[in-house]
Amino acid sequence: MTDAQLLILLSTLSTGLILGAIFSLVAAGVTIVYGCVWLPNASNGQFFLLAALVAWTFTASLGWSSWLAAIAVIILGIGLSYLLEWILIRRLYDTPNRNVAYFVVTLGITQIMTGVFSLTYAKWSDQFSLPPVIDGISMLGPFPIPNNRLLVMAVSLLVLVALFALLRYHPYGRALRAVFQNREAAALRGVDVRSIYRLSFVLGSTIIFLGGILFALAYSFDLTVAWTMSITAFAIMIIGGPGSVIGALVVGMTFGFTQAIVSIFASPTAATFSYLGAMLVILLFRPSGLFKR
Amino acid sequence: MKKTFFNPLAAAIALSAAALCTGGAQAQAGNPIKIGFVTELTGPWTFFGTSCVAGLKMATDEINKAGGVLKRPLEFIVTDNQTNSSQALAASRNLDVNDKVLALSGPTSSDVALAMYGYAEQQKLPFLVPVAAFPQLTKPGTKYTFRIEPDAAGWGYAMAKYIEQVKPGAKVALMHSDAALMRAIMAGFRYQAPRSKLTIVSDILFPQGSSDATVQAAQVRASNPDYVIVSGAGAFDNVLTNQLLDLGIKPQQIIHPYGITTQVFGWGSRSVGSIYGTFFDHGIDALTKEGKDFISRFDAANGRPPSYVENYCYVTPYIFKEAIEKAGTADDREKLRNALSALKTKEHTTGVPIEFDKNGARKEYMYFMEIQSVNGKRTYQSKQRYYIEWDPEVIPVYDLVK
Amino acid sequence: MKPYSKNVIGLLLLMGLMLPLAASGNKFFAFVLGMTFISLLWATGMNLMYGYVGLMPLMFAGVAGVAGYAMVHFTRTLGWSFWLAMPVASLLAAAVGVALGLPSLRLKGFYFTLCSLVIQTVLTLAFIFFPTYTNGDTGINQIAPPDWFGGELTGLGMDMALAVIALAGVIFCAWLVKTPLGQRFVAIREDDVLAEGLGIQVVRCKIIAFFIVSLYAGIGGCFYAAYVGFISPRAYDVLVSMNIWLFVAFGGRATIAGPIIGTAILAPIPFLLQDLQAFKDILSGVLIIVVTLMMPGGIYGAFVAWRSRQSQVASDGDKVQEQRV
Repeated sequence: MTDAQLLILLSTLSTGLILGAIFSLVAAGVTIVYGCVWLPNASNGQFFLLAALVAWTFTASLGWSSWLAAIAVIILGIGLSYLLEWILIRRLYDTPNRNVAYFVVTLGITQIMTGVFSLTYAKWSDQFSLPPVIDGISMLGPFPIPNNRLLVMAVSLLVLVALFALLRYHPYGRALRAVFQNREAAALRGVDVRSIYRLSFVLGSTIIFLGGILFALAYSFDLTVAWTMSITAFAIMIIGGPGSVIGALVVGMTFGFTQAIVSIFASPTAATFSYLGAMLVILLFRPSGLFKR
Repeated sequence: MKKTFFNPLAAAIALSAAALCTGGAQAQAGNPIKIGFVTELTGPWTFFGTSCVAGLKMATDEINKAGGVLKRPLEFIVTDNQTNSSQALAASRNLDVNDKVLALSGPTSSDVALAMYGYAEQQKLPFLVPVAAFPQLTKPGTKYTFRIEPDAAGWGYAMAKYIEQVKPGAKVALMHSDAALMRAIMAGFRYQAPRSKLTIVSDILFPQGSSDATVQAAQVRASNPDYVIVSGAGAFDNVLTNQLLDLGIKPQQIIHPYGITTQVFGWGSRSVGSIYGTFFDHGIDALTKEGKDFISRFDAANGRPPSYVENYCYVTPYIFKEAIEKAGTADDREKLRNALSALKTKEHTTGVPIEFDKNGARKEYMYFMEIQSVNGKRTYQSKQRYYIEWDPEVIPVYDLVK
Repeated sequence: MKPYSKNVIGLLLLMGLMLPLAASGNKFFAFVLGMTFISLLWATGMNLMYGYVGLMPLMFAGVAGVAGYAMVHFTRTLGWSFWLAMPVASLLAAAVGVALGLPSLRLKGFYFTLCSLVIQTVLTLAFIFFPTYTNGDTGINQIAPPDWFGGELTGLGMDMALAVIALAGVIFCAWLVKTPLGQRFVAIREDDVLAEGLGIQVVRCKIIAFFIVSLYAGIGGCFYAAYVGFISPRAYDVLVSMNIWLFVAFGGRATIAGPIIGTAILAPIPFLLQDLQAFKDILSGVLIIVVTLMMPGGIYGAFVAWRSRQSQVASDGDKVQEQRV
C-alpha cells in the first residue's frame, strides 16, 4: 500500500472513531432518557450546542483553560438538568402518551433556546472554537494526528464504556431498565420510580453536554450544528432502537464511519439522503429498531 | 352565538400594534431623507448584519455632522429581516408604503437580497445592495438594483488570474462546502482555470452539516497539488484549514476566496503565509486618509479592524449622498436611479473606482492578501500581494450561475 | 357543538370580506391580512389532521412547497394560467401527500410525528438539491400574481380572493366534520383499533384525510407563491409546519373557531412586531410549552370550559331558585 493510500485509510479510521464516538455519546444520552422516562428530547442539539458555547465563553472571555472550562460546564449542566426537571419535566410523568407531549414541549424548548442564542452568541461571532487541551502532533506511521484529537477520542470512548458498564452492572442501571420495562412492577419491588426518572434525565442530559464539549474541543463550530446533531441523534436512536444504548453505540459508530468514507465512494448528497432513508425504512418496517432495549 | 367576535378583535389587535410601532414615523417628506435598510439582525447571518450596521452608523453620523445631504439629514431606517426572505419582503413593503423611503439597501445575505430584488424591480424602487455577491442580483434587464460587491463567480475568476501570474501551470485542489455562494465562486474558477492554464487535480464538495474533513484532506494531499483552494464558510473553513495543515499541507499552499477579520482570527497563527481574497483590509497598499481614519475609529469603537463588510456599509451612505446630490433632489426615485446608473466616482476609503454597468453590476476588483501575523483576537497583519480589476461580464457569469 | 345556522355563516362571510376593504387603504396591513388568510387556510387543513384525525403532520409545509414549485413551473415554463396551474399543482401535491403518507399509515402518535418530520426534511432537501426545478437555495423570485381577465390580480382584488378561499376552506371543514366521514375521523382519533372493530375502514379514511389535508396545504402553497412573489426551500420548511401547528393548538384543536382565533392572534405577530423580532422564537417556544402543559384545548377550549362552568353555576342557581319556589 502506498503512503498516500495508508494516509487515507488511517484518516478514515481516525475520523470514523472520533465522529462515531461523539455521535454515539449524544445518541446514548437521548436514548437513555427516551428509554426510561419516555421523553424524546427534540432539543438535544440545543443542549449540545449550549455546552459548547458556554465552554467557549469560559475560554474566550474568562481565559480559562479548556479542561477547566469543560469541568465547569459539566457541573453547571448537571445543575441545569435538575432545574429543568424540577420546573418542567416532572409535570408530565403521569400523563398517558406522554412521549408526544414531551416531543412537543422539547420542540418548544428548542425554539426558546434558538431565540436566546440568536440574541446573544449569534451577535458575538459566526464561528467558535476551544483552544486545544494539549498541543503537539503524533505520528501514526505516515499519518500525523494532533494529540488533542487523540485525547478527545480517548475520552469519548472511555465515557461510552463507562456508561455501558454503569447500565449493565450497577444497581442504578438495572433499576433504570426495570422502570422502563414495567413501571408498576418496578415500583412494587421498591424502586422509587420518580427519582429514577429524575436521575435518568440528568444523566442523559449530562452525556449530551459532554458530547458538546468534546465536539467543540475537536472542531470549530457554529450555531447550525445544533440542528444537524438533533437530526443525527434521532436517526441513530430510531435505527438503533429507542432505549438501547448498544444500538446507539453500534449505529452511532456506523454513522461516524459513513460520514468519513462517503467522499471516497459516493457523492455527499447521497450520504445525507441515505441516512434519512434508513431512518424511514426502520420507522416503517421495524419501529422498535435494530436492537432491543 | 359569539362566533364572529374574533374578526373585529383581530383588526383591533393589528391596528393597535401598528400604532405602537409606527408611532413616531409620521414625519414625511418633512426633513430627513429616508432610506430603508433591511438587514440581518437575527438569524444565521446576524453577525454580518450587525457588523454592517456598525459601519453604516459611523458614516451616517459623519455625513449628518457635516451638514447632511442637500441640507437635510440622511436617515437609514434599520429593520431586521431575520435572515428570512418573507420577513425581508414584508419589511420592504412596510418601508415602501408606510415610510415612503427613497430607496432600499441593507442585505448581506444573497437569498434575502434576491427576494428584495424582485420587490424593488417591480416597485421601481432603487435598491443598493452593499454586501451580497450572488450574480443574479444584476442579471440582464435589471434596472433598479445596484450591487456594490463584486459577484461571486468573478472572485473565482480573480483567483485563477492570481494563481496564473504567481505560478503558471499550477495544479490546484478545490475543497468547498455546498452553499450557493461557494458554488458560484467555484463555477467562476472552473471556467477560468483552463483558460489560465491551470489544472484541477482534486475537486471535493462537502454537504452542508459536515463536521470533519480529515479523509478528504488526505485525498487532497495524495493528489499533490501546488495550491488548495479552501472555501468552507465560517467554522467549517477553520476545520478544513486545520486538518489540511495537520496533514502536512503548507500554509503557503492554501488560498481562501474571501476573508474577513473574524475569519482571519479563526484561522490563527497556523495560517501565516496563507492567501485570502478581499475587497478591503487594513493591510492594503492604497488607503486614503479617510480610509485610515475609518479603520482606526472602527477599531477603537469595536475592538477589531474592519473588513470589507463594514467598509461597504460605511461607503453606502456616501454613495447615496453623491447620487442624491447629482440628482438634485431627494424625493424622486427615478432621478436617483438614473444618477446611480451614471455614477462615476471613487470609494472614498480606498480610491477604487465605483461605476455601475447597464445591469447595475459594479466594475469589479479584488485584492489578494498574505497573512503575516495574527495577534489573538485583537488584530492581524497582512500584506497585499496582488490587485486585479475586471469587467463583470469578462466571464459569462449569468450563464454560469443561475 | 351547536349546529351552524345560515345566519352565522352569512355573518362570517360578510365580516371576512369586509376586512380586506377595511385594510385596503394601507398596503402593508393589507399584506399582513393576506398572509393571515393564507395561514388560516393552512391552519384549517392542519386542524383537520391534528384535531380530528389525531395525527400531527409535520410535512405539511413540504407538501405546500410541492404545490408552490409546481405552480410556478406550470405558469412560467408551460405558460399556463394561474387558475389552471393552481388546481393541477394542488392535486399533484395531494397525490404526493398521499404517497408519502401511505407508508406511515400504521404509525401513530410520536412515531407518526417523527416520520412526518423525516419526510419534511427529505422534502426540504429535495427542494435544495434539485435546482433544475427549484433553483435550490437561491429560490425563485419575481413570481407573477394570478392572471385575471387580461390583467393581474393584485391589491384589493387579491385580498378578497384570499379571503374567499380561506373562508371557503373553513366552511368546507365545518361541513365535513359533521358528515359521517368526519365522525369516522373522530372515532379513529379516539381509538383506531376500536374503530376498526366497529367496521370503520381506518386505512381508507386515513388516506382520504391525507388527500384532503394535502389539498389544503397545496392550495395555500400556490397562493403563497403568487402573493409573496418569492419562494425558497425556507418558505416551506419544518418551522412553517410547526408554526401552523401552533396556530391550531394555541387557538384550540378540533374546533372550527380554534384555528381562526389562533391564526388571527399569532399570524400577524412576526410582521407587526418588527422591532421585537428577536423575541419571536422565544415567545413561540414559550407558547408551545404553555399550551401543551396548561391549555390542551387551546384558547377556545379554555373559553368553552369557562363558559360551561358559568352555565353550571347559573343552572345550579336556577335549581336553588326552583326549590325555593
